Amino acid sequence: MQRELLTGNGAAAWGARLARIEYLPAFPITPQTEIIETLSQWIDSGEMDCRMVTMDSEHSMITAAGAAAVTGVRACTATSSQGLLHGMEMLYTVAGWRAPFVLINVSRGLAAPITLEPDHNDILSARDSSCIQLHCSTCQEVVDHMLIAFRLAESEEVRLPVIVNLDGFYLSFTREVVQLPDPQAADAFLPPYPSSSSLRFRAHEPVSAGVAVLGGSTYSYFRYQAHLASLQALPRYEKICLDFANIFGREYGPLEEYRNEDAQYVFVMIGSYATKAKQAVDSLREAGWKIGLVRPRMLRPYPEAPLCAALQGKKGVAVIDQNISMGKGGILYTELKSALYGHPGAPLLASFIGGLGGRDIKEEEFFEMATVLKQASATATPPPPRLLYTEEEMREMRALQTIAGAIPTVQGESR
Amino acid sequence: MTNTTAFKSKRDLPQKHILGTGTPMCPGCGGLAALHEIYDIMGDKTVFVNAAGCMTLLSVYPFTPFRGAWLYTAMASAPAGAQGVRDALDILKAKRTIKPDDDLEVIVLTGDGSAYGMGISATSGAIDRDLNFIYLCYDNEGYGNTGHQYSAATPHGVKTATSKGSRGYPGYKKDLFSIWAAHKPTYVATIIAAEPLDLAQKIAKASSLNGPRLLLALAPCPTGWSFDPSLSIEIGKKAVQTGVWPLKEYVDGEVVHTKIPKNRLPVEEYLKLQGRYDHLFHPQRDKKTLQEIQDRIDAYWHKVEYN
Amino acid sequence: MYRIRFHGRGGQGVKTASRILGRAFFKEGYDVQDAPRYGAERRGAPIFAYVRASRTPIHERGIIQRPDCIVVVDDTLMPVPAAAILQGCEQKTLVLIISDLPAEKWTHRLQIQGKVLCLPKSVAGKGSPLLWGMACVGAVTRLLGVLSREALTDALRQELVTLDSAAAEQSSSTALQYFDKMAATQIVIQESSPAAATTYTSPRWLDMPMEIGPQTAPAIYAGATSEKLATGLWRTQRPIIDYTVCNRCWWLCSTFCPEGAIHVDSEGFPQIDYTHCKGCLVCLVQCPTHAIQALPEQEASRLSGEEK
Repeated sequence: MQRELLTGNGAAAWGARLARIEYLPAFPITPQTEIIETLSQWIDSGEMDCRMVTMDSEHSMITAAGAAAVTGVRACTATSSQGLLHGMEMLYTVAGWRAPFVLINVSRGLAAPITLEPDHNDILSARDSSCIQLHCSTCQEVVDHMLIAFRLAESEEVRLPVIVNLDGFYLSFTREVVQLPDPQAADAFLPPYPSSSSLRFRAHEPVSAGVAVLGGSTYSYFRYQAHLASLQALPRYEKICLDFANIFGREYGPLEEYRNEDAQYVFVMIGSYATKAKQAVDSLREAGWKIGLVRPRMLRPYPEAPLCAALQGKKGVAVIDQNISMGKGGILYTELKSALYGHPGAPLLASFIGGLGGRDIKEEEFFEMATVLKQASATATPPPPRLLYTEEEMREMRALQTIAGAIPTVQGESR
Repeated sequence: MTNTTAFKSKRDLPQKHILGTGTPMCPGCGGLAALHEIYDIMGDKTVFVNAAGCMTLLSVYPFTPFRGAWLYTAMASAPAGAQGVRDALDILKAKRTIKPDDDLEVIVLTGDGSAYGMGISATSGAIDRDLNFIYLCYDNEGYGNTGHQYSAATPHGVKTATSKGSRGYPGYKKDLFSIWAAHKPTYVATIIAAEPLDLAQKIAKASSLNGPRLLLALAPCPTGWSFDPSLSIEIGKKAVQTGVWPLKEYVDGEVVHTKIPKNRLPVEEYLKLQGRYDHLFHPQRDKKTLQEIQDRIDAYWHKVEYN
Repeated sequence: MYRIRFHGRGGQGVKTASRILGRAFFKEGYDVQDAPRYGAERRGAPIFAYVRASRTPIHERGIIQRPDCIVVVDDTLMPVPAAAILQGCEQKTLVLIISDLPAEKWTHRLQIQGKVLCLPKSVAGKGSPLLWGMACVGAVTRLLGVLSREALTDALRQELVTLDSAAAEQSSSTALQYFDKMAATQIVIQESSPAAATTYTSPRWLDMPMEIGPQTAPAIYAGATSEKLATGLWRTQRPIIDYTVCNRCWWLCSTFCPEGAIHVDSEGFPQIDYTHCKGCLVCLVQCPTHAIQALPEQEASRLSGEEK
């Protein structure tokens, strides 16, 4: 195993290379593009045996990836934000084909207003597409989960696209120390694309895929089968992670629990910002707090049982959503609340929305969230949802609005 | 074709520049140079309907260089946005909710990534529907805003972020002018900032017409093409003088070349100024590719001159 | 943990410098995180990059709020508010600036709390501005006191592979030269611990009010507001018109300026708007009478008496 310094994008590219992908339909979009650039250079130099095609859009790109997968090659593709949304019709479609391939999504906020920096509304908009979702928080997890993702997608009982998600900027452009899996070990872990399966178009072997149905009962059957396959991906993922740990020595699972065992209070969040929460947990522990972090790696299927078990008996849980469902609130909060409903001993939940469009979450904000959570737990009164947004940010916003001619010039301020 | 516009000589070019300074475009941006020349003529009674590309960053809250209107749509659908704006203005005019003087010229603004690729379906549809609009593509021959990967507008042999091999991009630049002209719209023209008089005459002509009017501006890109920003206009001139970028227009079913280079310079004069072609000259000359590029240009002009 | 933040402009090797430092830490067995941060990814525009290094796993992420060392590759950025160079600067912070001005002058002018150390601009000789970044990374590597010359040499070799051999050699030798020079100073960059949860300042969150009106959509209700942005700060070379040579053709430089930053006055002379001119020098190349010359920005501002 080789120790390397890699960005999240570099790690994703290495993961695809180690997975010996055979086909890469691509389309550039910030902050993902470095992945396809890196792979294209390896393909040009002969270091990878893979065909890359720059398509005309993400809609075409996802179609091609799914079509190649059902024709019988290992396909991989990558996008971000608007690209994921542009391809959304096909994401649902190829998942319905039961096409196993891996899509890397580099999370970035959605338009309008268009932006470049990360949040999770892009990936969460794919929540109901039947694609499996794996969320990474370090560059190491990215490279490892590329291998895991192909195993999972290609499992006969799953046969669904898997999305490996990493945050733009905070992972995509950030270099970290990564243990690069040894190619032979990667080959041992991930066998070649299953050529024996039903995934093939060949002469003399009639197959009509992705066909239409008329009538709700036929439709219901296929749709519910995809749901059951998705549910099955949870135990399957756990098993693949065990295999992975046996070969590579790194342990994964649907949840990462950090200093959670004796914790009375817990942060719940996904993605790269969760490592900031770890830092905050360390600092708070030093100050005498019994606090931990629970981070779902797998978000679809939803790891309901593991989450309920991990949070059972806690005093309070702060769910930090880097997304927002307009008219409802934080999506992770909403889902966790539904999972815990009716469970005796369920903890008090507090909802925080922060990190939208790449807004930083500062150390003191984690400390403050812990304080709010503790006070709310003491009185058993859930606090109202809180957007992490300071008075100073509002002042700055007012100055921008003034320049934009959207509000009258603020009295006493000259710019 | 006789020039009936107000622009007879360079002395007639606008003296006042009205596109705001302070944009985040790269120093020496050939696309911005074209846009500001165009804006001087079109003026602020315009709404620019934008597709994702470098110029999306022209308007980043709360800053915009435009004195008129702007609407960012998405990468694939700017012409559809133009349709909505045009139709709405027409409805309001018909109902006399707005005065004729409140009307705007609707201008789609896209890069080649959208124009040659993802946006071509929406463009084709808008021409089919005879939409009364102007379409302006700033063509920097690659996906510039993401770091210059090859696009359908990338010429043969060019090194881009996704064609770094020794032979560069294996494909050929798509002939978007002909694709547009095949729709038989009102007007199609190629332009370039380095030829401001030709550009001004074409913009003035396009403004005087109705229906779909499409403009394709070659946009030398210091960042993506790898040349010193100070050479931006010089490279544009060379593109015309070597015959790489034919200046022409399609109107009334005819294609007319507005500037036929008399003593066409060898294409190398254009190529060697740009880092993206370095591999054709160093470490050794790629004679075959250079000859192929020259032959294709010669063949094009042979047809023009002998037809 | 060590937290080092680099500031400079696109094209001055800021990202490369941060990667070299990250790689040197990596060579010495540290856990490392390095990342560039772009605003507009344009040549000449202010950018920054950061490096974290620790003997224990790093959980912090994103922008460094409280740096142990601030490295300024281009001192023209010092007073630019948008560059936010002194953000989080404390007494123990070392501010390392490539500048011909004495350190005391910067300390006094910007009321810098930390220690200031200036490296003269001549460091990079007449070479490309990329070398400023190299001088900085050489100096910082030495001032940390925990990284060997070998680690730096190795890091330079690995991170400069994309350069041609002559440029890589020049970059490497500049960095190593500055590593060696710093042996004479007593300054050592101190690592610091993370913020304590016991003594933090409340973030002063606000309940966002519900508003009705045009301001709630991302729209700008004014024209040409971009003129408030002083893109002249991107400029490293300043075009200067010699009006004794200018023949008042007026349309050439003015029309070709991609920014629209050259206006023609009532007498027909072109006037450059230096607040917005990005210094692309298209005007210089296009001027038929060669009436336009370029001067390095700092020299030009000194000559015109802008330096205070």
